[in-house]
Amino acid sequence: MEILDKLINVALIAATLRTTAPILLVALGGSFTTKAGIFNIGLEGQMLAGAFFAVIGSIWTGSAFAGVACGVAAALAFALAFAVLVVTFRANEVVVGLALNILAGGTTISLMKAIFGTRGSIVGHGIVGLPKVQIPGAQALLGSWAPLISGFTPIVYIAFIAVPLLVLFYKRTQLGLYIRVVGEKPEAAEALGISITRVRYIASLLCGLLAGLAGAHLSLGYITMFTENMSSGRGFMAVAILIFSNGDPLKVLAGCLLFGFADAFSLRLQTFGFPSYLVLTVPYVVALTALFALSYRARPKVIRETLASMQKLLSVDRNSAPVDKNPQ
Amino acid sequence: MSNAPGSPPLLSTAAMAVELTGITKRFGAFIANDGIDLAVRRGEIHAIIGENGAGKTTLMNILFGLLQPDEGSIRLNGEATVVADPAAAIKAGLGMVHQHFKLVPSLSVADNVFLGMEVRRHGLIDHAAQIARTQELSKRFGLHVDATERVGLLSVGIEQRIEILKVLVRGARTIILDEPTAVLTPQESRELFQTLRSFVAEGMTVIFISHHLEEVMEVSDTVTVLRNGRKVATRPTSELNKDELVRMMVGREVSFDRRPRAALHGDIVLDVKDLWARDDRRLPAVRGASFAVRSGEVVGIAGVAGNGQTELAEVLSGLRPASHGAAWLKGQDLTTLSPAAIRQAGLAHVPGDRMVRGVDRNASIAANTLMGRQHRAPWSQNGVLDWKAIAQNAGALIKSFDIRAQGAGDAVKRLSGGNIQKVVLAREFTNGADFLLIDQPTRGVDIGAQEAIHDEIMRQRAAGQAILLISVQLDELAALADRILVMFNGRIMGEVAGDDADEDRIGMMMAGVSQQLEPA
Amino acid sequence: MSDRLRAFSGQIIAVGVALLLGAIIIILVGESPVHVLMTLLRGAFGDQEKIAGTLLQTTPILICGVAACIGLRGGMFNVGIEGQLFLGGFAAAWVGFTFSLPAGIHTLAALALAVVAGAAWVAIPAFFRARYNTNEVVSTILSNYIAVLLTSYFTIFLFKRPGGWSETPPILATAYLPEIFAFSRLNWGLVIGLLLAVGVALIFRYTSWGYGVTMVGSAPKFAEYGGVDVKRQGFVVLLLSGAVGGLAGGVETLGVHHRFMEGFAPGFGFDGLIAALLANGSPVATIVTALFFGALRSGSLLLEVDTSASREIITVIQALIILSVSAQVLIKRRGDSQAGERRWKF
Repeated sequence: MEILDKLINVALIAATLRTTAPILLVALGGSFTTKAGIFNIGLEGQMLAGAFFAVIGSIWTGSAFAGVACGVAAALAFALAFAVLVVTFRANEVVVGLALNILAGGTTISLMKAIFGTRGSIVGHGIVGLPKVQIPGAQALLGSWAPLISGFTPIVYIAFIAVPLLVLFYKRTQLGLYIRVVGEKPEAAEALGISITRVRYIASLLCGLLAGLAGAHLSLGYITMFTENMSSGRGFMAVAILIFSNGDPLKVLAGCLLFGFADAFSLRLQTFGFPSYLVLTVPYVVALTALFALSYRARPKVIRETLASMQKLLSVDRNSAPVDKNPQ
Repeated sequence: MSNAPGSPPLLSTAAMAVELTGITKRFGAFIANDGIDLAVRRGEIHAIIGENGAGKTTLMNILFGLLQPDEGSIRLNGEATVVADPAAAIKAGLGMVHQHFKLVPSLSVADNVFLGMEVRRHGLIDHAAQIARTQELSKRFGLHVDATERVGLLSVGIEQRIEILKVLVRGARTIILDEPTAVLTPQESRELFQTLRSFVAEGMTVIFISHHLEEVMEVSDTVTVLRNGRKVATRPTSELNKDELVRMMVGREVSFDRRPRAALHGDIVLDVKDLWARDDRRLPAVRGASFAVRSGEVVGIAGVAGNGQTELAEVLSGLRPASHGAAWLKGQDLTTLSPAAIRQAGLAHVPGDRMVRGVDRNASIAANTLMGRQHRAPWSQNGVLDWKAIAQNAGALIKSFDIRAQGAGDAVKRLSGGNIQKVVLAREFTNGADFLLIDQPTRGVDIGAQEAIHDEIMRQRAAGQAILLISVQLDELAALADRILVMFNGRIMGEVAGDDADEDRIGMMMAGVSQQLEPA
Repeated sequence: MSDRLRAFSGQIIAVGVALLLGAIIIILVGESPVHVLMTLLRGAFGDQEKIAGTLLQTTPILICGVAACIGLRGGMFNVGIEGQLFLGGFAAAWVGFTFSLPAGIHTLAALALAVVAGAAWVAIPAFFRARYNTNEVVSTILSNYIAVLLTSYFTIFLFKRPGGWSETPPILATAYLPEIFAFSRLNWGLVIGLLLAVGVALIFRYTSWGYGVTMVGSAPKFAEYGGVDVKRQGFVVLLLSGAVGGLAGGVETLGVHHRFMEGFAPGFGFDGLIAALLANGSPVATIVTALFFGALRSGSLLLEVDTSASREIITVIQALIILSVSAQVLIKRRGDSQAGERRWKF
């Protein structure tokens, strides 16, 4: 029990929220493109570009927030390139996404070498990290539980506030509705004069916005540094989450909390002497397992739908349909 | 949108809601509409009836601004109008309910109805107001729906009501329905007619496209018959009877150029017993089909497209599972076999959607003639392909089937529709199969190629093959088939001998009115 | 403007944009594009050792490229070649340093296990793709990360060379792939790659099985209609693709490093995929594109010495080329509406 107490405590939950934030933001970004019917494997690259340019901006201006703006701008540039190629030129989404990821990796390393003359990572150089927001009264209200709501960087709060906002966005705004329609039934959008191209551009750019914030959180949040390929597959995990959540904000949150927890828990395990290499695989294994398990579980749905359609039929059609010989 | 949803647009006193004059529309060499005049009085239900390809849908698409006519003019409510696009049509008070619904499954009924013209308050969509308005309209016209339900959970009949509500909420006073009953059960159709009458009672106008004679007789005030892109007549429904209508629809000039034949029916090759299958929406599309095909016999399947013929062909070729019943091909039950095993058992299949199923458009003629026999000599030996033999074989097929191409290396996509079909026939007819499943052999094929394809089918019959010929073209069936089965709504409605193919009777059965005439 | 003219002008614009962007990025990092180009050429083809070095870099890209081609031919995106390469590399090393076998047989045994490792690593994603249609792009990408970490774990925690730095013990000389020239580490792996590329091309072209797979990739409905088991072939194709990816790792271990180490052969899997895409899925054309990328990689080593630019500038150029090609191939389809069908289709 003692070990369990050490493993799971307030600090772990707070760490989970911290590690959840970047993947949540990037997955919520991907929610826009997923809902708009675009398979966006380029999230990883947008996030990486965001992380790098956030550091650059922070060094140049001496302001963390200007850094964040720079990171977001860079991610938006990648998102725009993605949209131009995929939406306007109708290039293959997978090819373009992968190529943009490679481009982001190559560009950040090349620029790092050009600007700082180093390889590997940028540390120091006057990088200004994001401030931590202390919520007044949190200590008095929650005592030792205060770290659960207080002391995070602004981007963490943005990530979690974005979830209900996105729920509202898809339910109650015209743009949110149109994004869903374009993704689900483009013919319907077209017939009603909704521009599919425009909606997909907007979705791609909104995606870049959040992916950029996620990247900025990586490099200016809890550690203030940039390392080569520091997004380390979070963008791809986000895509996995998007596949089985279908981009629904609440399901995305649930999936991301799972990964955030896996991430935080594996870091914790490392301090207990588990081999770091194995521990580091935990989030990826969780992502893959979830992807496979949920695609397997999707099968009974087909059977349920069949049964439902048969019932409907029986009630409508007097000539009753025979029982399926091989229902599937 | 200038009109508040549902409110009548600028009321005019003109007696005619719609006047089309001399409408002509060509697609390449094909004339879809040839100088059609149509006048629809305000406040009537006007049916437009005709066979597939008669030009009904094209005409309505021109009226609704989806197509521009090559010649002719349109007057709406007495005013000359250029209907540049659907938006202009909607503005002029027209509304169209298409055959294929364009609804978003994950959205509620009300969201779908108001999609593109959302009611907003403080910038946010006002779901409550949309639901209230939808319910009000649905009550007023007897279009019973639950406005809060998700569309994905609803039946096709209710989806149609939603499409009608979409049109109403945009202020339509003249409503065009394209084959509205094709997807409905008889009960739902009756409810739809009630609704249409309530529209007319409120002074609205309904244009109703159909090929279902009984319902046209039942619901319409006026009928316009189209045939081969021309208008045959416009008459008050009360002056017409079914027989007259069928005659006008099918016409006397249909070429029943029946092919000469010797009777040489042999043993039963294909024996289908109480076969059921579902469509992609998982609804029954084939409902208890039973029939047999003998060697040396051409059995035709007639019917309006979408009455289960495609699904029947897919089940027989192993591409779709049967939900019940059996189909015996020389003693083997096809419903238990894979497509490859069915081919082994002796099936050759000319698919209806030849561009998707029948060929790889980007591959050469030679590569296309290889499909299905790539494991057999002389095309391959021990798993190794002999491209020389394949090309020679393809070259021979190009000659014997008169495929107009440079050579066996030509990409199939460079050929005309008729020649692509000949590639498919050449492959399938030389497979040594005992049973030929032929689906729409001459769809989109020019006249010359049609003749050649018909010749080839008759040659196969003479060679003793059992042939099931599915076609929406009656004259094709009458020319080729020994017996014609008529399919409607997934059922075989009846059978007609090819020798005395009576277009009236077949037409009736195709329109679903067979039972009284000849129970299946 | 005619379709052909539009497509042609689009192609010119696409390539122009790629080159322009590449030049701009080179200028941004403070170098002259001309100087960078000359350095790359010198680094890749300057003398016979440089040329051998280029061929040495070409080898794994070529084999990985062939692996990608196999997948693409059957309509499958195997983005997990990187991971299969790492596992294959480790498996070959393990056979190399654990067993002592006669020369030749030892090499073959090591390569065989590399092949098995690569195929096994892709088996689960392949199964779920074939059976449940689980997106293979995401599952193979994610398994890359696990493969890299797992092989690092094996290397450092289970098989670390005593006194060494995150590497396994060296393999026995009996397991080496022999070198071709005395002056370079260039080895028979290149020959394996060339034979493989030609062999795979021949299999696709001249076997009944290859014909079926090709049709699954290019016209799946037609293949299904013709009796090809589309799901099964999808599985088989991914498995074979993974096997060749594993082989690439084995060749790299036995021919170049003679041991497995952390950070072994980074990026070859992705380079191979890009080479295959650029070659439009043709294994023989991949020989050319792999050579091109091998030259870029080889030249980039000198780039790092002679200029201030980093060698990753070449990955930027690779990515830009792929983007420009993807755009120009599809520019022809611009007339189509976004709904996937022509506007107001009848």
